[in-house]
Amino acid sequence: MGVDQAMRQLRIDLTKCNYGRDCAHECETDCATKVFKADDPGLAALHIRDHGDGTGSTILCDQCGDCVVVCPAEALKRNKLGVVMINKKLCVGCYMCIGYCEKEAFERNTDWVEPYKCTSCGICVKACPHAALEIVEVPEPARRII
Amino acid sequence: MSHTDPGTPIVRCEVDFTQRTEYHEGLEAIRAAHKLLAEVPFTPSLPEKGYNNRTLYVNVGTLEVKEKPVTQQMKDVFVGGRGFGLWHLWNAVTPATRWNDPENEIIISPGPVSGTTQYAGSGKSLVVSLSPQTDIPIDSNVGGYFGPLLKFSGFDALELQGKADQDVILFIDGQKGIIRIEAAPLDPVDSHVLAEVLTRMYAENDADRVNISVVSTGAGADHSLIGMLNFTWWDHRRGCVRLKQAGRGGIGTVFRDKRIRALVCRGPQVKSGLNHPVDQETISQTGIKFHKEMRTNDDSQCKMRRNGTAHIVEIMDAYDLLPTHNFQYGSHPDTHRIASPVWQARCTQETVDGCWYGCSMACAKGADGLVLKTGPYKGHMVTVDGPEYENAAGLGSNGGIFDPDYLLELNFYCDTYGVCTITWGTLAAFVMECYQRGILNLERTGGLDLTWGNAEADLEMMHQMARGEGFGWIAGQGVHKMKQIFADRGWGDPALMQDIGMECKGLEYSQYMSKESLAQQGGYALTNKGPQHDEAWLIFMDMVNKQLPTFEAKAEALYYFPLFRTWFGLNGFCKLPWNDVVPSDNGTTSEPAKVPEHVQNYVDIFTATTGIKIDKDILIHQSAKVYNFQRIFNIRMGKGLRSFDMPPYRSQGPVTREEYESRAERYDKQMLEDIGVDPTGKSIDEKIAITRAYRIKRYNDLTDAVYLRRGWTPDGVPTMARLKELGLDVFPEVVEIVKAHGG
Amino acid sequence: MITVNGDTLAWHPGMTVTDILVARNFKFPLLVIKVDEILVAPKDYQATKVPDGADVNVLHLLSGG
Repeated sequence: MGVDQAMRQLRIDLTKCNYGRDCAHECETDCATKVFKADDPGLAALHIRDHGDGTGSTILCDQCGDCVVVCPAEALKRNKLGVVMINKKLCVGCYMCIGYCEKEAFERNTDWVEPYKCTSCGICVKACPHAALEIVEVPEPARRII
Repeated sequence: MSHTDPGTPIVRCEVDFTQRTEYHEGLEAIRAAHKLLAEVPFTPSLPEKGYNNRTLYVNVGTLEVKEKPVTQQMKDVFVGGRGFGLWHLWNAVTPATRWNDPENEIIISPGPVSGTTQYAGSGKSLVVSLSPQTDIPIDSNVGGYFGPLLKFSGFDALELQGKADQDVILFIDGQKGIIRIEAAPLDPVDSHVLAEVLTRMYAENDADRVNISVVSTGAGADHSLIGMLNFTWWDHRRGCVRLKQAGRGGIGTVFRDKRIRALVCRGPQVKSGLNHPVDQETISQTGIKFHKEMRTNDDSQCKMRRNGTAHIVEIMDAYDLLPTHNFQYGSHPDTHRIASPVWQARCTQETVDGCWYGCSMACAKGADGLVLKTGPYKGHMVTVDGPEYENAAGLGSNGGIFDPDYLLELNFYCDTYGVCTITWGTLAAFVMECYQRGILNLERTGGLDLTWGNAEADLEMMHQMARGEGFGWIAGQGVHKMKQIFADRGWGDPALMQDIGMECKGLEYSQYMSKESLAQQGGYALTNKGPQHDEAWLIFMDMVNKQLPTFEAKAEALYYFPLFRTWFGLNGFCKLPWNDVVPSDNGTTSEPAKVPEHVQNYVDIFTATTGIKIDKDILIHQSAKVYNFQRIFNIRMGKGLRSFDMPPYRSQGPVTREEYESRAERYDKQMLEDIGVDPTGKSIDEKIAITRAYRIKRYNDLTDAVYLRRGWTPDGVPTMARLKELGLDVFPEVVEIVKAHGG
Repeated sequence: MITVNGDTLAWHPGMTVTDILVARNFKFPLLVIKVDEILVAPKDYQATKVPDGADVNVLHLLSGG
């Protein structure tokens, strides 16, 4: 729990990513199909969005841990690699994690009770044709009061 | 730390919130002494569209256990929660039944939406019984896990009737489908010990503890009329039980009169959707929308997640509305010592404080690491549930007590002894004023120096009550009976005590000053159960916003808000998420005080759960049926008429010279402008009398206007026309009562 | 002179909405404030100037218990 702990965080280099204009959103497709077994790339745990006017945005989970703080069931915990993981058995489907994620990175699929999130697994990193994604080791942030 | 400055850093409490005195060492001996009296299997079920369509009846005297169906009529007229409680109680008792007859029942009913895990404040239950204080039905709204777990075991309500001849525990195992009544000779008495022992005893392993909820009370309920019920949940971050209260009216006293030691429910693992709602997606989306609203707005609005309901202590003081010295005054120079910054620093901020899953308002703050100074647990380290606003005002300013540690200790002992903090606060304030005025003295109190602010004497009075002895026993009878006891002993002027004894219908007032708000005087005294503010809280609308200038406007508010607020208790909702946070654009709506977006949330969730389409008008109609039924029930039990809606004068105006003098400028101005009488040259006693006569007349005029608006006769009886409008004329006894009283 | 919820309050040049809240000791956190019928958002209380003769409505939302 201390700030000396490290955690694995997914990062994107926006000098190498053009919000999907130069690729087929392989990161989202592989994440959705390989990790979450869903056909729709929109259900991936990261989002790369082209706004159509030359700009774009990305939504990535940065493992900040705010969701760990608010979960009433203690279903969200950091694993040994510092990655915030959801224990589906404990989750009661209250979605306070979704509500309290300031980056809107916590996901929900209407077919499943439990929400889901990025686990820093690295599949999207492998999939990206421009090597724009990487997993880095960064210090765990201090636990906030929210 | 102000509400307009969300940038102020949060002060973290340095207490280790996982540490406290533990009580489960003797658990095996306690368990071994349990004797099985009855065991009945049942088939657990989950609700469909919010209803299991059956309730559980248990007679702790005859050991009869049976299931009863929920009829369509029950759902149509009563919905659930308070409605089901009143219906079962009506059928259980006769007009001759008293609170300590075996026929009296305690009914716990959650309501169709209760147990929803997405929307804040969706796990409440209502508890209904004949009150030892008022002799009419009392209804009490409570959080914790018991109601939802009962529901997810298979029952829409639990009826408890009869009286056992020894202390018993009722255990409902919703995982295995077994109901047990067990004799419990060695079980601890006080809730913080008992609930911990029972949670560990009935859980099959550590992980199972969150599936257990205990209903219990304490020694205070054995020896007083003011006992309440604690409903637990297991706080796994802290590693302890937490307590929410069904506080008002003495239901804990009925519980112990029946020799019930505790109720324990073991429910299935909680998950989203156990109510099998018609439309889960709407509920999920609405819940997430509210969570985001809390995330964005709570810090710059009421700071409920940080301060709980105690966020209004300093606000009430600023508006001269904080009850001080038995409602004599509205503020005190020492209020800052018990104001919300103190509680924010003292309560643990690092944990999750919702009393049911999915509550992002999470206002059930706890103060950890309190080492008790007095009483049977002196020296123990405990976690205190609270303080709520009511505790800080009632146990604190109303008694002149401004020491936060003593306040926490008073709060703690009320909880573990099983007495209502609101009730204790108001009765202790009454006692202290009697002491101030020489109605009581050291000899009469048996040595308790009950001066304003003497927390040690206040605590000792409570410990005496818990032991059933001394002046403390007298105090535990409540204000209504204390007035009689003192008068019978020739202590004090009965008329003065009637004026300053803040009770109506036998129930003590809750902690808001209605003295300068005619609308709130009605909000307290024109209620069904007694002066509890859950029906209407109109002080700002009336006095500050000036939105209720006429009798008709006040009457409209006293028609609408009690009905709106009743609705929460039919369904299992908590009222706080309705208006203790508001959407950012609420100010642009036509009626911001009603928080229309949240009203729509409730309509949507009810419809999405039950499939019954309602709108905000049907919502009011649903409540009106139950509300009027309760009024008629009161009449059936010998009250419910205009004479019982008359309040003590302290709730309406200045009783004493000091009170008049403390607001002389305002009262003189009102005399000139409103009454049309020039105060110049008049003695203070003359001015008090003129003000009094005026205010009493105004209250009577208000009562006329409110009764008319509610469809009641001038004596407060619902008319036949109103009955027909509400469909209550299908109940012959209801019609009989109304006709017998000129309705 | 301005009116606040129907009662008069002395005005001074440069008076802001925040000044009104301080003058009246309006500490309640859930307010809906209109100056001459125009809604003022909480973030603008400090910056919004109130003209002389203004009719100000400071609606306290209900809350309570």
